[in-house]
Amino acid sequence: MIRQSDGVSLSALIKPENVIFLDGKPSKEEAVLRLTEAIFPRVDGLISRKVLFDRVAEVEKLNPVLESGFYIPHAKFPELDGFHAVLGILHEGFTDQATGLKVKALLLLLSPHRPAFFQRHLNMLSLLSQTFQPEFIEKLAVQKDPAAAAALVTGK
Amino acid sequence: MVPNPKFKQVLVLSTAMLSFISFWKAASVVLCDMGSSAYYAGSIAMNAFGPAAPWYVLAVMVFGGLMLAVYVESCAMFVRGGVYKVVNEAMGHSMAKVSVSALIFDYVITGPISSISAGLYVSSLLYSIMPLLHVNWHVPPKLFAVLFAIAVTIYFWKENIKGVEESSDKNLKIMGFVSVVGAVLIVWSLFTIYVRGFTLPPFGLKFTHESLGWMANFPVWQTIGVVGILMAFGHSILAMSGLETLAQVYREIEDPKIKNLKRAALAVFLFAFVFTGGLTFLSSLIIPADLIGGKYADNLLSGLALELEGPYWAKLILQSFVVASGSLMLVGALNTSLVGSNGVLNRVAEDGILHDWFRHLHKKYGTTYRMINLVAISQIVVIILSRGDIYLIGEAYAFGVLWSLVFKTLSLIILRFKPDMPREWLFPLNIRIGRVQFPVGMVLVFMVLLSSSLMNLLTKRIATISGLASTLVLYALFQISENMNRKKAQFYATDEDSDEKMNLRKEADIATILPELTKPRKILVPVRNPNNLVHLKSVLETADDDTTDIIVLSAKIAKGMQLDGDTGSITDEDRELFTPVVLLAEKYGKTVKPLLVFSNDPFYSIAQVAQAAGADEIVMGVSGSSGAEIQLERLAMAWGMLRKSDAPSKPVLAKVVWEGRQMTYQLS
Repeated sequence: MIRQSDGVSLSALIKPENVIFLDGKPSKEEAVLRLTEAIFPRVDGLISRKVLFDRVAEVEKLNPVLESGFYIPHAKFPELDGFHAVLGILHEGFTDQATGLKVKALLLLLSPHRPAFFQRHLNMLSLLSQTFQPEFIEKLAVQKDPAAAAALVTGK
Repeated sequence: MVPNPKFKQVLVLSTAMLSFISFWKAASVVLCDMGSSAYYAGSIAMNAFGPAAPWYVLAVMVFGGLMLAVYVESCAMFVRGGVYKVVNEAMGHSMAKVSVSALIFDYVITGPISSISAGLYVSSLLYSIMPLLHVNWHVPPKLFAVLFAIAVTIYFWKENIKGVEESSDKNLKIMGFVSVVGAVLIVWSLFTIYVRGFTLPPFGLKFTHESLGWMANFPVWQTIGVVGILMAFGHSILAMSGLETLAQVYREIEDPKIKNLKRAALAVFLFAFVFTGGLTFLSSLIIPADLIGGKYADNLLSGLALELEGPYWAKLILQSFVVASGSLMLVGALNTSLVGSNGVLNRVAEDGILHDWFRHLHKKYGTTYRMINLVAISQIVVIILSRGDIYLIGEAYAFGVLWSLVFKTLSLIILRFKPDMPREWLFPLNIRIGRVQFPVGMVLVFMVLLSSSLMNLLTKRIATISGLASTLVLYALFQISENMNRKKAQFYATDEDSDEKMNLRKEADIATILPELTKPRKILVPVRNPNNLVHLKSVLETADDDTTDIIVLSAKIAKGMQLDGDTGSITDEDRELFTPVVLLAEKYGKTVKPLLVFSNDPFYSIAQVAQAAGADEIVMGVSGSSGAEIQLERLAMAWGMLRKSDAPSKPVLAKVVWEGRQMTYQLS
């Protein structure tokens, strides 16, 4: 099925309340777990806690860290109608065991699991990986305020 | 900032980059071999059984058309559907070895008969011209022909060792020139007949004692009409040599392959019928019988040029053109015999029935020089033994041609009883019995072939003795080689030399490959599993070769040193992957650009090559381990990460294709 490229934007996705700073030196698994905790209230009522945590734990193993050092664990759920995301920023970052890459920013993305939405899902993944380039991540990692970080991402 | 590319080196499989040719070019390659017999077949047949020969040469050319149709069916089943492949498939290994032995004998004789004939034509021209230049020319024609033949054989021997391949462009130019000369000859001949009148050649057969061979001992048999016809037919059969070239050139024919193959076969048939059959016939109408058997016995078409109606100077000019065109075509046939025999021997060696010693590559040129040496030395020996006697060598010639065709046709008949084998075209005249298309037409062809071959065994003593001896020697060589290879295989688990040779070109950057991608559309086809090429097949089925570059990319996971640029050479795994890729490209007659890149993530490589090349589509096969959606997600992430913000917004389709299904999305 060929669909027109659906426009996606980070403005609706990355809001100050969707940005969290992960203190300390969490492992990859711990970082993803904390993002899952943060996103759960936004999808509570649509997805059960167990289903969410199980699925995210599953994709955490499947999704590789990008060459840029950005990590996008992403999962699709038929219960959702739109994107949900939480951006995690680590000042010191963690080292991904599989690739040896330093990760200072990661974004947990939840998308609707519907064929009609898959094009937007791909566009969002592409836009995120295009935006979060190494220099940009370095700028983001020194931010202290979620609002400033969200503004940096959305360009506002 | 775009991250550093993770692959340091791009490997281009240069041997896998086939360029495909039009049916005209394919026909010209075949005709440079098959059409060259026009220069000697008629005179050899006339010497064998008298003035009725033109009828039989014409009949052989019609029969040649049927044999071309037999080859079309074999090529429609196997892209590389030469004698060896077809016989091996139908009758097994041993018969394949016998048939390929006969075929090699055909190649070994093709070179000498062509080069000696060319030498005799040049000699005849020199004899015409030298007196006019007041030069006393004393070299006997046969001695000159032998020296000429040895010289051109050595020349093409060296060229083949250098790896200079046959050029279909050159063949087309030669055939263009030959066609013009042939057309002038025909028109001028018709004018001569109009002026002088004509008498049709008789049908009566007058065999010489030599041409009766062992049949001279069976006078009763000679009184049976059909026996005489078969004997005469057998003596004329050398006019249709060169059919195997059609099977060899088929892999290079462009899409649509079968349609173009049929067109090529029709062009070959029409040209050969008019050129070989027509000119032989006209020669018999114009040249006095005593001159055909005497002065022009070795250079019939020179004789035709000189015996036309018109001023001598004009006829001399025409003779010069006849000799020039004939020499080009005949030495072309010599080259084809070296290229063809080397190709067949390589194919045989790949199956382990020729010792690896023969597959040793030339240090400088990378060619299988020992095989070329074997054939070229044999050809020179034949040239010397023949002492420039074209009739003697013609006697030996038909053995290889006929028996390889007998085995091939019989094999195709046998394969008709395997109805599950895919065929895109069938030789006509079939009766459906259940699921089998019983090949009535092909059986009739086979009966003619077999009868002529058996008759030739009796009438052509030289052919029978030398052909059988040569076939036995080659068969023994194949058998011994096979046994040695079997023993060797027991001692060594792997043997690098037994692998197919593929040439690699290393490039430091993908950018150096880009100028080679000149077509407006570009499709990138990543490949990983040789058993999962459905996506490549779908691209080859639909892409327009004239407007689309098809880049076939194997993105390998690099380990250790490979990421630092030490990518080494092609591995068995790469060979296993790219061999079916090349075979598929051949099957569909479409050019592919095979690339091999090393990376720590194949999706980065795919995205990077696609963006650098400006691909319009990326067509992937489905991964059994991850599935189509995850493949697309990973590609989308790699795509976005590598995409420059100022890059032009060009829609690029990403497809995942598997049996009966595909997912198509757009990369942004």
